[in-house]
Amino acid sequence: MAKKVGIVAGSISRFDNPRHTLQEEMCAEAVKMILDEVPDLELGDFVKKGYACCYSYFSDILEQQQCMHWIINDYLGLSAVPCYRVESGGATPIDAIVNAALWIRSGMFPAVLVVGWEKMDELPIQKVNEAIAIAGDTDWDFVSGFTYNAFYATMEARRMHVYGETEEDLAQVSVLCHNNSLENPYAQWPAQHGFSKITIDDVYKSRLISWPYRLYECAMTSEGASALLLANEETTKKLTDNPVWISGVGFGSDTMRAGDRPDNPAWKGLYPEDEKIWPKHVPAPMSPYPDLCNFGALRVSARMAYKDAGIRNPRKEISLVEIFDPYAGVVLAGLEDFDFCKRGEGKKLLREGVIQPHGELPCQLSGALTAQGHAVGSTSVAQVVDVYWQLSNQIGKKWGAPGRQLSKPKKGFIHGHGGTGCQAGAVVLEV
Amino acid sequence: MKQPGPEKVLKEQKIDEKWWDNWIRKGGWRPEGWKIIEMNDGPTLNNLRPEKFLIVHRPHGNMFHHSYGKTSKFFMGLLEGKLYGTKCPKCGLVYCPPRAHCFNPKCRLEETKWVELSKKGEVHAHTVMAIAWPSMAHLQPLVGAMVRIDGTNTCLPMTMRDIDPEKVNIGLRVNIHIEKQPKGDLLDVYATPAEKPKAPKRTPEELKRFREDMEKTRAWVKKTFGK
Ligand SMILES: [Zn+2]
Repeated sequence: MAKKVGIVAGSISRFDNPRHTLQEEMCAEAVKMILDEVPDLELGDFVKKGYACCYSYFSDILEQQQCMHWIINDYLGLSAVPCYRVESGGATPIDAIVNAALWIRSGMFPAVLVVGWEKMDELPIQKVNEAIAIAGDTDWDFVSGFTYNAFYATMEARRMHVYGETEEDLAQVSVLCHNNSLENPYAQWPAQHGFSKITIDDVYKSRLISWPYRLYECAMTSEGASALLLANEETTKKLTDNPVWISGVGFGSDTMRAGDRPDNPAWKGLYPEDEKIWPKHVPAPMSPYPDLCNFGALRVSARMAYKDAGIRNPRKEISLVEIFDPYAGVVLAGLEDFDFCKRGEGKKLLREGVIQPHGELPCQLSGALTAQGHAVGSTSVAQVVDVYWQLSNQIGKKWGAPGRQLSKPKKGFIHGHGGTGCQAGAVVLEV
Repeated sequence: MKQPGPEKVLKEQKIDEKWWDNWIRKGGWRPEGWKIIEMNDGPTLNNLRPEKFLIVHRPHGNMFHHSYGKTSKFFMGLLEGKLYGTKCPKCGLVYCPPRAHCFNPKCRLEETKWVELSKKGEVHAHTVMAIAWPSMAHLQPLVGAMVRIDGTNTCLPMTMRDIDPEKVNIGLRVNIHIEKQPKGDLLDVYATPAEKPKAPKRTPEELKRFREDMEKTRAWVKKTFGK
């Protein structure tokens, strides 16, 4: 099988809210950067050489436009090019990348352009929350009065109860992400709040959203666009001297409603080693993993991607990680579900500084969803671009911040998910 | 062969056509106003220039005529003050939210049977919403709980009343209630404590912060809704 899928180029049109610029214009900004970087790429090649496009955006409701990708495809001058849209809530952009990589591996297309974007400023904030929350079950989740803030908060309350995570752990994750974003010229946090470091007291002073989560521990709502040009080995080598390879992809799923997970027979016995890790002071549900503490879909997607990439020991082999963190606690849960530590020990990696920029396993170097921003369809595309720039030694050039370039990273892991972990995707990149 | 219709209306609570008629006409997409603004924009923070934008205020509204399908009995139950779930005759799993088909992979989508449920349960996980739905903002701070109704294998999310937000805990036994004038959705269901709640462990700083958060939330409600 033609297994190698290369990243030829990646780009971001920055996250902010509002941007006021139209989706198609932000997408054009991103794709223009790729064209500037790859002089041998012509938009006419897409038809001539049989390339395709895979578009990523989450909501038709946020700007009341269905089939937005038809506008984008037309605007980019790509009429006649085979294209479609991937949509799976928050997992949309990672699934678009996984999908594009599988297209290339199938041998059907030598190259695929992935473009992701979102527009989120048009509705009043309550209606934005509502538009996002109706990705939850509108008969059984949403009309209980809970938004996603509340569902993730209940899950974190359970992590605190079962694993002993603390409010300080959550605040420390938030500090890490915000301070990581300060030199990122594509990030929303510095665009809106300036370039000074924050402390845990700043997090504590931010307003309570849904206990235990405070404003700075929740994803921003953002606008922005990003793009990735993926290609098979031959085309990648023709178009760039500095390729990074997508060596593994994976995706997985879980129940629509988080409340259906504790006794779900589908999980029973799937990860017996995790089922054994359960404290005596809490009655164990029938399926102790993932319960409401962890994200089974994340585990499935990560192990699939590791297997695909031939990774045996993720903790040792992976140099940097971008976790899709709509809420701070997902970073800690993710570290566990991605096998960087045992369940319940995510907080240990945080407290020991392992995930700091100069730690053994730097995480969220972009600032991720709480600080780089969360223009849903663009989010994981941008996170993959951030890791791609690290692996191809381009942070100095792309950020104008050479100090933020890691020294010779080898492999990166990026994950995305939607809903309360209803669907997840993961990719492994390597130089 | 047989035709499935026409549908027979057995019982109805009519919507106020006048209220909706008024609203639907407001949702006309034509701008109700506009503004011209100037702001810096560009693809990166290293590359910004001033731009002018025209923004129109464009309204529209909707009403969905939604069927609860084969889970309708749960909501018909709410209208009668009863709580129903479904049970799989093969594996015995009990669902609330109900499912018309069992999701146990072993059961090959077996059709489930309706069972009446107890109005008692236990808190599986919880939160305190300082920002709730706009229509519930006057109830902030609002306790939300994933409640495992006795005898079920699932959790049903619901809000709680008559409880100090500081004291809700995982494992708390609760009584489940249905609104006296149910509207026909999940918000008709709420829980109250069935035993003395135990506050979760908090450090003195956490407790101080929590109480300040509650005070701020209540002050905002008082200022906004005047009580
Ligand atoms: Zn069954």
